[in-house]
Amino acid sequence: MQGFALYPFNPPGDVAALRAGLRNWLAVNQPQGDIVSRANCWASFDADFSRALGAAGYVGMTLPTRYGGGDRHPLERYVVIEELLAAGAPVGAHWIADRQTGPLIVRYGSEEQRQRYLPGIAKGELFACIGLSEHGAGSDLTAVRTTARETAEGWRINGQKIWTTGAHFSHIMLALVRTEEGSERNAGLSQLLIDLDTPGVTIRPIIDMAGHHDFNEVFFDDVLVPHGALVGTRGQGWQQVTAELGLERSGPERYLSSHALFAALIDAAGADPDPAIAVLIGELTAEMWTLRQLSMSTAAKLAAGEDPMVEASVVKELGNAFEQDMPRRVQAIVNCGWDDTDDLARLLRALLIASPSFSLRGGTREVIRGIIARGLGLR
Amino acid sequence: MSSAREMLCDTARAVFAEAATAGIAPVEEAGFALLLVQEEAGGFGGDWGDVNAVLQIAGVMVPDLPVAELIASDALQSAATVSLMAGAMGEALALSIDHVNTRQQFGRPLGKFQAVQQSLAVMACEVRAVEAAAAALAARLDAVDIDPATADFEIAAAKLRANRAVGIVTSIAHQVHGAIGFTEEYDLHRVTVPLMRWRGEHGNDAYWAARLGRQVAGFGGQGLWEALTIRSDKSRTE
Repeated sequence: MQGFALYPFNPPGDVAALRAGLRNWLAVNQPQGDIVSRANCWASFDADFSRALGAAGYVGMTLPTRYGGGDRHPLERYVVIEELLAAGAPVGAHWIADRQTGPLIVRYGSEEQRQRYLPGIAKGELFACIGLSEHGAGSDLTAVRTTARETAEGWRINGQKIWTTGAHFSHIMLALVRTEEGSERNAGLSQLLIDLDTPGVTIRPIIDMAGHHDFNEVFFDDVLVPHGALVGTRGQGWQQVTAELGLERSGPERYLSSHALFAALIDAAGADPDPAIAVLIGELTAEMWTLRQLSMSTAAKLAAGEDPMVEASVVKELGNAFEQDMPRRVQAIVNCGWDDTDDLARLLRALLIASPSFSLRGGTREVIRGIIARGLGLR
Repeated sequence: MSSAREMLCDTARAVFAEAATAGIAPVEEAGFALLLVQEEAGGFGGDWGDVNAVLQIAGVMVPDLPVAELIASDALQSAATVSLMAGAMGEALALSIDHVNTRQQFGRPLGKFQAVQQSLAVMACEVRAVEAAAAALAARLDAVDIDPATADFEIAAAKLRANRAVGIVTSIAHQVHGAIGFTEEYDLHRVTVPLMRWRGEHGNDAYWAARLGRQVAGFGGQGLWEALTIRSDKSRTE
């Protein structure tokens, strides 16, 4: 990790025009809805919006054109998603498919899988979820016990997943399962693409402390999927998943989840702010500006084909701390009642309640710090 | 890093090694005052990326000498201090890693203990943030012909971010070092004491936070995002 340098963020083409085009599109097409849905908006589900966004060419941007994608540079996609998040657009429905599942199918999937799934993903119509966590396998993902046995007809899946975000509106799950009987830890695992309407799949909601239905339990009772459901190499599931997690950790969603609150704070403060609020705005701005540089640099490094596992973890650690800290610091300074109905108060309450999850999803703070420590040459 | 900048850094290390005992004279004689002067005017024709690289080395090797003052104008001293701080923080981290991998207690290196690992991970994040701030500020300054007035937002954000890292970086560095880090003999104080000093120089936290906060309040909620993107789209290099 020594010798850190900022990687130049240079998407091809006219970035200002790309931003302007999207901002104009959003001015017409972004649902007005409730201001609260603009916070933590990558958990906001709106299938109509996702479809419209796909039709406008802003989903599956990096996928090859022969599968309906835009064949655009990863950093052009980065510009688009940071704009969507800063605007608080409801991108939750297609988020996982666009960020992870699509690119993973391009990288590891068979030709049949690409033709079957990628066009729907690029249209913003096919939604995906990720089947990793289980009851006994949370931070320790190597304890996965859901099994898939190869039979003459295909793979027979038994077991259950938990904390599966969006399973109830997704069409497919990319699941990490144990395909080799008697295997242990990170050996003998494989990734399967499972159509969630297959008989034997049961999805039950788990309501979170904010009263929202985001995650689920998913049960597999002798579920039969074709041989062609295997993604990549049998037994290489662990390696494929850890590569995928790198994509997940460093994006702009790691510091923009609370952005709607920050914008509301700035607007409420007015052009001549109270000195204490000005100081808070200044401190939050310095942190946000720095995080954006780190995130863009990490994205540029990823786009150049490098594996910035540690930098990605630094973005997640600092970004989660920032977006988690923000509502707490705003509450400490701004006088706002718990049940007040103005925008600032409602955003604040929603984010205070949502924010504990920020340092849990995508790897807990402690796991992330462990990855950073290993990158430093400790342990 | 370009080969020209690598040569510049090699020279800086050699000159600063001499200056560590001889004072500022070798730095003056080596011509560092000409780093930002155009080549046509007989200077080195360097950019702020070069200044950032040189000052990160100065922040470790000669933190008490006025190298930044020799290279840059008064209006750029806050920006220069960010680079000194980034260098010193990188050294504090390197010393800390080395110490916990070497020092044994309870029969194993300190670095094997999760509590120590988690502390150093926190510290490393702060150090990377300040290095990123220094580099992004350099990119902005170089995109606007090193005009501090046009890079006012980035100078404020970078100096404030660096200031806010000082407490975490110095306290964790000293904590993991134990008593040896508190001695005159050991090198840690050569970077931690200057860091404490630099936090208060060329604008402390309150100064930059109030100033940046008022500027952003002027942008408005949506205007902040527009300002961030316009400024970074323009400071793209290469």
